[in-house]
Amino acid sequence: MFPVRCFTCGAPIGHLWEEYIKRVRAGEDPGKVLDDLGVKRYCCRRMFLSHADIVYEILNFPKVS
Amino acid sequence: MEINVLEKDRLRIRLHIKDIPLHILNSIRRAAIAEVPTMAVDSVVITSNTSVLYDEYLAHRLAMVPLTSEEALEKYNPPEVCREAGERGLFTEDCFVKLELEGVGEPGKITTLYSGDLKTSDPDVRPVYDRIPIAVLTGTVTHIPGRGEVVNRQEIRLEAYARLGRGKEHAKWSPVSVAAHKYIADIFIDQGKCVGEECRACVEACPKGVLAFEDGRVRVVEDKIFDCSLCRECELACPVNAIRVRWRDNEYILTIESTGVLSPKRILIEASKIIDKKLEVFLEELRRLGVVE
Repeated sequence: MFPVRCFTCGAPIGHLWEEYIKRVRAGEDPGKVLDDLGVKRYCCRRMFLSHADIVYEILNFPKVS
Repeated sequence: MEINVLEKDRLRIRLHIKDIPLHILNSIRRAAIAEVPTMAVDSVVITSNTSVLYDEYLAHRLAMVPLTSEEALEKYNPPEVCREAGERGLFTEDCFVKLELEGVGEPGKITTLYSGDLKTSDPDVRPVYDRIPIAVLTGTVTHIPGRGEVVNRQEIRLEAYARLGRGKEHAKWSPVSVAAHKYIADIFIDQGKCVGEECRACVEACPKGVLAFEDGRVRVVEDKIFDCSLCRECELACPVNAIRVRWRDNEYILTIESTGVLSPKRILIEASKIIDKKLEVFLEELRRLGVVE
């Protein structure tokens, strides 16, 4: 799942993910969307750009514990 | 001391401060990062978790959620008291706020639990942002011979306990994502040595666009001086050594960016109060030892 906060600076970013991915999937430029959302620093920006949301694939497998 | 507010909004404040020694400003900055108390989830009691996410993963995500702390600072016991209570498993009302989260998934559907789904016991302490995804749930249908279809729904049921804490204990309690000070540059240009507009080396070298030509002479663009990062690229670029970058004494820019738990103004006030209190304790100790009257 997308991290709640930026690993480096600790700014909350989790609440922006859904809008970001929706707009990027609709064909918008990721950089422009991040500017729009007010994500300024490159530590926070890489959180979005490099994230692969793998949880939806894991979701259908049972947990081993 | 002279303070100018360069920028101020809900999350950010940028101050231009004159006549302040660096160590004073730095102690305020450090107090803002590590000493100003805020609310954050510290203990999680998980009643049921049949989701694909591990308990620790959920607890960590909950802890990262920023909680509004503006009123909580007066209402709840200080971090040192509550830390002890938490370690002994006493989730008392004068220390802890209870946040409940519940959700059940359905086969063929994906349910997302958001920070906004947290039910808080104190309306003054609630997530700053309601749309932070905490967990995702679904369900499965399995065909078992002789028993037909067995529906399995993923479920999360938990109680999270938030308390006051300080950034030095864990970064989740830090009210700031940025607390920084920077020097203000003083750029000296020797107009006698400078060859003028045919060179342009320094103007092109500056990554911040601080320098420009005006009537054939290199000048510092007005208001751009605050952007200078003292990288000294212009010094390096100049073929005749006509430019020098120095900094102004006792003049700094302080930037505070809040995570949303407290206003930047409140963070500065609380940080100053904490330093004041620490000095008071120090003086008291000196008095006790007879070092000062």
